Amino acid sequence: MTGDYRRFALTRAGQAIVVVLLAYVFTFLIISVLPGDAITNTLRDPQHGLSEEDIQRIVAFYGLDQPVIVQLLLSLGRFLTGELGFSLQSNLPVSQIVGDALPSTLTLATTALLIAIIFAVAIAYGAQYLPGKWAAIVRSIPSFFLSVPNFVIGLILIEFFAFRLHSFTTTDPHSPVATLFAAITLAIPVSAPLAEVLIASLDHESRQEYALVARSRGLSEARLFAKHLVKPSALPSVAMVALIVGELLGGSVITETIFGRDGIGTVVQKAVTGEDQPVLQAVVSLSAVVFVAVNLVADLASPLLDPRVKLRETKLKEKVGA
Amino acid sequence: MSADLLTVEGLSIAYGPTVVVHDVSFSLAQGESLALIGESGSGKSTIAKAILRLLPHGEATATGRVALNGRDVLGLPEKQFRPLRGRELGFIPQDPASALNPVRTIGAQAHEAAALLGETDPAVRRARILDVLEQVGLPDPVRVYDSYPHQLSGGMLQRVLIALTVLPRPSLIVADEPTSALDVTVQKLILDMLTELRQELDISLLLITHDLAIAAERADSLVVLKDGAVQESGSSRDIFTAPQTDYARSLQADVPALHPDRYRAQRTVFAAEPTHDVVFRPAAVASRSTGLQIDVQGVTKRFSAGGKDVLACDGVSFAVERGRTHALVGESGSGKTTAVRLLLGLEQPDSGRISVAGQSTSGRSRAEVRDIRRHLQLVYQNPFTSLDPTWRVGRIVREPLDQFGVGTKPERARRVEEALASVGLPTDVASRRPAHLSGGQRQRVAIARALVVRPDVVVLDEPTSALDVSVQAGILELLSKLQRELGLTYLFVSHDLALVRQVADTVSVLRKGQVVEAGAVEDIFSRPQHTYTRALLDSIPLATPAAALGGIAAEAKQPAKATA
Amino acid sequence: MTAILSNTQLRDLGSTPRKLTAGLPPATVLLSFAVVLVVILWSLVPGLFTSLSPVTGDTASKLAAPSAAHWFGTDYLGRDQYARVVHGTASSVTSALVAVLIGLVIGSIIGLASGFRGGWVDAVLGRFVDVLLAIPGFLLAVVIVSSLGFQTINAAIATGVSAVAVFARLMRAEVMRVRGATYVEASYLQGGNRLHALLGHVLPNAYRSVLVLAVLQFGTSILIIASLAFLGYGDPPPASDWGLLVASGKTYVTAPWLVYAPALVIVITVLSVNRISRWLRNAK
Repeated sequence: MTGDYRRFALTRAGQAIVVVLLAYVFTFLIISVLPGDAITNTLRDPQHGLSEEDIQRIVAFYGLDQPVIVQLLLSLGRFLTGELGFSLQSNLPVSQIVGDALPSTLTLATTALLIAIIFAVAIAYGAQYLPGKWAAIVRSIPSFFLSVPNFVIGLILIEFFAFRLHSFTTTDPHSPVATLFAAITLAIPVSAPLAEVLIASLDHESRQEYALVARSRGLSEARLFAKHLVKPSALPSVAMVALIVGELLGGSVITETIFGRDGIGTVVQKAVTGEDQPVLQAVVSLSAVVFVAVNLVADLASPLLDPRVKLRETKLKEKVGA
Repeated sequence: MSADLLTVEGLSIAYGPTVVVHDVSFSLAQGESLALIGESGSGKSTIAKAILRLLPHGEATATGRVALNGRDVLGLPEKQFRPLRGRELGFIPQDPASALNPVRTIGAQAHEAAALLGETDPAVRRARILDVLEQVGLPDPVRVYDSYPHQLSGGMLQRVLIALTVLPRPSLIVADEPTSALDVTVQKLILDMLTELRQELDISLLLITHDLAIAAERADSLVVLKDGAVQESGSSRDIFTAPQTDYARSLQADVPALHPDRYRAQRTVFAAEPTHDVVFRPAAVASRSTGLQIDVQGVTKRFSAGGKDVLACDGVSFAVERGRTHALVGESGSGKTTAVRLLLGLEQPDSGRISVAGQSTSGRSRAEVRDIRRHLQLVYQNPFTSLDPTWRVGRIVREPLDQFGVGTKPERARRVEEALASVGLPTDVASRRPAHLSGGQRQRVAIARALVVRPDVVVLDEPTSALDVSVQAGILELLSKLQRELGLTYLFVSHDLALVRQVADTVSVLRKGQVVEAGAVEDIFSRPQHTYTRALLDSIPLATPAAALGGIAAEAKQPAKATA
Repeated sequence: MTAILSNTQLRDLGSTPRKLTAGLPPATVLLSFAVVLVVILWSLVPGLFTSLSPVTGDTASKLAAPSAAHWFGTDYLGRDQYARVVHGTASSVTSALVAVLIGLVIGSIIGLASGFRGGWVDAVLGRFVDVLLAIPGFLLAVVIVSSLGFQTINAAIATGVSAVAVFARLMRAEVMRVRGATYVEASYLQGGNRLHALLGHVLPNAYRSVLVLAVLQFGTSILIIASLAFLGYGDPPPASDWGLLVASGKTYVTAPWLVYAPALVIVITVLSVNRISRWLRNAK
């Protein structure tokens, strides 16, 4: 088992690295090969006030006077050593820009993840154990959550809690209360798929013959839930939590804009409007790293959680049936 | 009446507006056993669940009276009923593989049952658990205790479940088809063990089964159910010797072990000579001489799965003469499925030689193999999976004609019509989809599809094991009729020796990839040489009827003999 | 009953289990279809629903609250918000449709090839799908739209590309499920070749759940494209894409209907589409 597990872990980790590198290349190609000579346009933009020497230095640094493949290799090589380059707009190191913005987004995203998990568990438990009619209503919540755009949720929350109830002010978007509401905004759409997976697997597990047999042995519903149903239902949910990390990173762009928070989302926004390719490239690649790493952890944990998982057979893609 | 352990009176059960059980009454005395017998849809499992109060909340409503020791439990609040669960009423489910939580160890789940004993010391509980695991014949209780369900075989899991059910010493056990998911030899061992344990511990048994032979062998009294209503009830002996209703009579007539010659008359017309001296030829003698439709010589196939090599076929040889039926018999893992796949060219053998109708299938191009396949068709075990659900029956039966490019369009349509007629289906099924057909009808469609290209050889892979007993008989009758009319050669794959005795001329018994015994069916049945063959024969319920039941079997043969 | 023994064939013909779930779908589904119908009509013939112009307004009645004359009120130029929503439908709906088509076609081809062919094809395509999955969907859409230029059609393409992975993964799983089915093996024994198995059996049995996903994805695409428009990555004003309407409405705190009316239209549309998708999934 341990030898098998080590081999399994190494294979998975290897695949994860390959995926991250490919994601980098893919992003690079989208940014630089698609139409428009963006880089030089940005550099020559008088707004940024770069001197001719600065421009020459940047062109040399990124190899902009050379073929795309050379640019890619240069950039990829630097990425591998942790060097993210310089912003075309501000000439600041990208690592500094990202580093400044990261704590705010991390706070937002982890709070949102916690809230999403709480929402999802509450919905799933209600769907399972509330009396008939209420359970049906609770069951339709995820579908409703999935239908409301996250910017609408944000605007409604601001309208009521900031403008009417004065729970927080939009002028201090990083205050704990404001952060909480921003996190709720981000959490609501994200909690829906998680709740759906939880509901589906609880339904599935409680219909299994083993649940019937356990009931025939006189187990109460509460013990049945705690002893038998939680663990097998948690398995697909762990995979789903890992998947929604991506949604959190994407959704923070909108949420930060609405709440006026500084963070990775605002960095992306600025980079897009300013056609600041190195920043965009770095943020997207780092998101891919985070996503792949979280999924790798979930993947490596699954054989430890579920004795049935056969190490040779699982694949990242197959675990979560859409 | 008051001495009865379980009394069911006027029990009706409905799912919404649909009533599935109508006014069922029966009773079971302390220490006795009773079998509820019926085919799918008879309501037998629903009744069992109602007694155990395991019907889904809010979906099913049960009315009537179910009394345990004279106390009505049907209307009891769950809180008052729960103390009876496990302690008074035990439950053994059908499929042992899904009846234990897959992510918890056997030991962890066993403690739930042990807790019903009122014992609080975990060490004592563990000792009791290990005791009972040993009692049900598990060789290494400590290892089983620490195992996860997927690490044990089906037979072992069913032993575990029985152990956990008897551990709290209930007065009644409800067993829902406790062995139908298991191999036949295991089936017998488990039932023997259960019978013994029951007598030792004075536990009553309510057995739910579709198998009349098992019911008669294991229960004191029977309740025959059809469409949710009682057809007949009484002592096993009475119902067996003198079934009063048509339905019970037909069930009795469909038990293969009781009527070994049922289809013989229809089959032997083609081969007029007595069956036992011609048919089987040891592999070494088999030649390319006339009449050998299937000739398999020393075929070996090795699979490697998960780093382990499995020898699925180890020098398997058999031969089948034109117009005869040869049976491959074995349990799961015997290699019979692999042998069939090799014969059909779905897998390539590592070594050995296979020829069909005198043509060797090895070393052929894809087109040639395709040509051979025209003469070699397969009827799958499960008609619920072998027909494409999105196709209509007419297209399903026409598929081989289209693919092999047989005839013109009107010719094909005519042949499809003929094929459907020959399997006893009305022409209007051609426009239906499989979902609108019953299991028996689907299997008839599958047979029509196999026959429409007019093959010489048909491989029948457990063609009736997914069907109800009464439907089985219809399919077997049809197959015998078609064999006689068309001179077909059958390779019949089965785990059921009683069935094989009815339909086959010769047989090869397979075990772990090897042929352990082969010969004419009569010889194998009367003089089995190998211990494994004997074990298989022993496991047929009522194959060697007890003195009391001997008369029944003899009587039952009468109508069949009349046609001979 | 007496015929049972003599004619066993009759017996299995008699027990035909027919499941007739006849009748209409549930009321919520009918309502959802009605909503979708209205939305389609809005996009095809907006003139039937409003005679007011979405681009020119009467500045005298600017920022008016909802009334009989102006159901959704008016904006800062006095333009009728209802007319703007109705006229913005075509762009919002077609772009969502384009996005779904891109995801469906590319994703299905990838999934089909990957699942049916297996081996190195699966390995290569699998890594590609992994990459698409690894980049958070909305970020990917943002990057693509920023490369292609800020237009609604580009937002649609970006949304479509970021949906490819979901379709590919589902199609692959479905194909792998069907590929191993007994009836597919049976078709080889009936003389069929691989192409016949693929087109005749695998595809007809695999596409249903992919279509259900496509319906669901239509709703999701409306949301994503609206979000991109909200950020200003779609067509600029005076276009009136739903997301853009919400975005430009939010500056007028005193006129909240400018935000809530189009927001409500988005929510009701997506809710209806999701309901239909769920109904299709269960009715399958």
